[in-house]
Amino acid sequence: MARYIITDADKITRTDTYLVKVECADGGCFEELEPRRLFPHTNLNQYITLLDSSKKEIAMIKDLATIAPDSRQAIEDCFFDYYMIPEITEILHVEDKFGVLKWRVMTDRGEIEFSIRNRHSDIKLLGKKRLLVRDSNDNRYKVCDIANLSKSSIKKIYSYL
Amino acid sequence: MDSTIHINKHLTNAELQNIEKLGSPDNPVRFAIVGDISADGKYSHSTLVATADELIVTDYSTGDVTERIAFSDIDEIFSKRMYGNAFIRVRLKGEDKPKNIFRYTFSISALCDSVILYVNNYKAGDSVESRVEAIAAAYEKQLSVCPKCGRTLSAPGVKCINCEGKKKIVARLVKYIKPELPILIISVIISIVTTVLALLPPFMTQTLVDDVLGGDNVTANGDVHLFGIFTTTVVNSLIIIGVVLTATYVIRFGMGAIRGYYLRKAGDRIVKDLRDDVYEHAQHLSMRFYDKTSTGSVINRISGDSATLQAFMLRITQEVVVQFFKMVGIIVIMLIMNPTLAIFSLIPVPFVAIGSRIFSKKIAPFYRRIWRRNSAVSSVLTDTIPGIRVIKSFTNEKNSTKIFVDKTQEWYETDYKAGKILNAYPAIVNFFVSMGSVVIWMLGGLAVCGATNVSGDISVGLLVSFISYAAMFYEPINFFANLNDSYQNFLSSAERIFDILDAEPEHDFGKGNKDVNMRGAIEFKNVTFSFDRTKKVLKNVSLKIEPGDIVGIVGTTGSGKSTLINLFLRYYDHYQGRIYVDGVDIRKIDMEYFRSQIGFVQQEPMMFHDTIFNNIAYGNEAYSVDDVIHAADIANAHEFIARQPDGYDSVLGERGVGLSGGERQRLSIARAVLKNPSILVFDEATASVDSETEHLIQEAIEHLISGRTTIMIAHRLSTLSKANKIVVVDNGRIIECGTPEDLMEKKGKYYKLVQIQSMADKVNRQKAEEHFE
Repeated sequence: MARYIITDADKITRTDTYLVKVECADGGCFEELEPRRLFPHTNLNQYITLLDSSKKEIAMIKDLATIAPDSRQAIEDCFFDYYMIPEITEILHVEDKFGVLKWRVMTDRGEIEFSIRNRHSDIKLLGKKRLLVRDSNDNRYKVCDIANLSKSSIKKIYSYL
Repeated sequence: MDSTIHINKHLTNAELQNIEKLGSPDNPVRFAIVGDISADGKYSHSTLVATADELIVTDYSTGDVTERIAFSDIDEIFSKRMYGNAFIRVRLKGEDKPKNIFRYTFSISALCDSVILYVNNYKAGDSVESRVEAIAAAYEKQLSVCPKCGRTLSAPGVKCINCEGKKKIVARLVKYIKPELPILIISVIISIVTTVLALLPPFMTQTLVDDVLGGDNVTANGDVHLFGIFTTTVVNSLIIIGVVLTATYVIRFGMGAIRGYYLRKAGDRIVKDLRDDVYEHAQHLSMRFYDKTSTGSVINRISGDSATLQAFMLRITQEVVVQFFKMVGIIVIMLIMNPTLAIFSLIPVPFVAIGSRIFSKKIAPFYRRIWRRNSAVSSVLTDTIPGIRVIKSFTNEKNSTKIFVDKTQEWYETDYKAGKILNAYPAIVNFFVSMGSVVIWMLGGLAVCGATNVSGDISVGLLVSFISYAAMFYEPINFFANLNDSYQNFLSSAERIFDILDAEPEHDFGKGNKDVNMRGAIEFKNVTFSFDRTKKVLKNVSLKIEPGDIVGIVGTTGSGKSTLINLFLRYYDHYQGRIYVDGVDIRKIDMEYFRSQIGFVQQEPMMFHDTIFNNIAYGNEAYSVDDVIHAADIANAHEFIARQPDGYDSVLGERGVGLSGGERQRLSIARAVLKNPSILVFDEATASVDSETEHLIQEAIEHLISGRTTIMIAHRLSTLSKANKIVVVDNGRIIECGTPEDLMEKKGKYYKLVQIQSMADKVNRQKAEEHFE
């Protein structure tokens, strides 16, 4: 399948909350493309696909590090709004009563309390470090490296890992 | 008119007044949504308020209006779902680009979707009352999920069984204990008798040492005044003590064996009832539950956790009572024998109790972790062992083994870490207990020698007997100390069992409306569906099917074809919009009855480890042999069954091993024939078979569908030759619908698909011919 591979010679500009324009070095131009991570949990800065309004892949960035800094910034700004997976920085309180598991946490987007419907499938360790949590409303939260959490935080969630 | 403002959050009077002020007496506020994130994606609040013809966005804390948009100025309003959050976007008249007006997380996405509908219905000319009614339904639906725990409620507005009653888990298990109560009571009585008998030997030891061997109660002629009742010779005394002890042991152990037998019987029945209940409940759980829960963990709960619960229930109903009596009995006896020594014996008790508390806190997380690791091991097994053919065909044995070894290693690491605490604790307790015995030996020994002034007379026999009671005393102490440990284990098992028992079953199974004559008229009305709120799989789908229609559903992979069928079969009920059969909402029809009226033939038919006969007659044992053979005939299956050495008695392997894909498919068609349904659904029934088999299956399908409403999903458009209506699904929407001829004339997506497929067929045929030549 023909897909345009974006290089540092191409220019990407953010045109809307989640849309960008790609001006290619060869003079071509793609408007209103939606950048998406192909590996939103395990490889944030590589393999970024750009879809048109019918969700057809038009272009790809193999590595954000290889494109122009302004273009990279445009993509990162889009992603900041598009992907809301707050990073848990501290576990403030865990309540586990009568089958209901409730966490109050501090994240990089502020403090939030949420319930976890199924403790066995909604708390997932990816590898040995990364933790993904899904609340009862299907919102996602992450811990990039469990070792970065404080001892008291780990103690509170230890039994669910 | 109802003047209540619908709001998704409890507000103070001041906050409510701020919202009300945004409207006017002529145009009051109709509803408000309190959002959960700010425009820059931080957790905070903002409010979206609607009157009859305006949307107003305010800052929740200050009440400042940030947007005020009249519906008449809106050209387009839609939601943009992103990852973990979404925007309501509006494009105003005369403007090219839409703008974000309200940002939210998925917690309130259903409400935000209803706002869009509210505005669009305004544009369609609906009255404000009917629009508000639709909004009220969305708010009600929001309340059908418990705001505390997120659990789906059995009906909107009812109390959540997880959060409302603080019903103790143990109390809920009484249901299983009740039928066994007579046996349990008799067992307790037997236990009390055997416990009393167990307290007798130390007393006999004291008599033996002091009265018979020590000579304390020897008369002038050398006889012994035994038990202070009668006098006899030393030899006779020894014989009497021996006989009493023997009788004690015979009664004690005999009664113990009888008790053990009945307890096992009662225990087995408890575990059986529990397993049956959990399994039955698991059968009725929605597909949504199974989408999120691995089968390995469900199997673990039914087999392992129910046994843990049974063991604890017996412990609670039996051992606790017995050990309590034993403990009280020994304390009383020891206090009577010598109060000072008795008090010294009690010294380790607080240490043991405190130790138990610390221990239980430490060990509880380990039990949960061990279970998770065990469950992960089971999941690998349930994934890989049934798929052993795939593993072998990809020569992936090494990798498969590595995955398993990694999981068992994780289990091993967790388990041995728990082992440290599990073993250290009893060692510490035993140390304190032994030290208690040492103290009694020392003090008692000194008292016997007369070197210390311990209140009361202490003889050698009394000391020996006391030590025996003291040793026995620590048994119930140890038991109660460790009870916490098994209680923790029990709690985590109970929690997992109730995860299944408390999960919402499919609605109204066997309890609803059967008063529907299903002729086969089907209507999808504005159906929107998302598996996990992140992506809408079906978007506002509307479709009408008349009785007897043969409808082909086509579309690319992932377009939403199968989801359409899954909703129709009521595997998922949490969609927006309505699906009607003969004018009745399918969610209001009794599910058992509804499904009994539908024949479903899947792409990968599921066969069970049973005979071919039973596999065809699956779901109803009342079918006669003639019925089954007739069904097999119609399904073009009879001939190959007849060729089997065991005919209809051939036992299939798990999942139908022993038959080809086409043969399995024909058996599944025979199943559908036997069911004689009013509506037939085929999901890619011929996708995985060769052309010749496809022809046989096609023939079988044609026999089956005459006169019945039939929905067929097909990749191979050739299988839709009998269809009088084609529905083209793309990206969750119906983009074309009509007769095959109309759609071919229209030269749209269906036309393209037909062109592509005939070209591909032509190429394949040419290649096959060249290859043949």
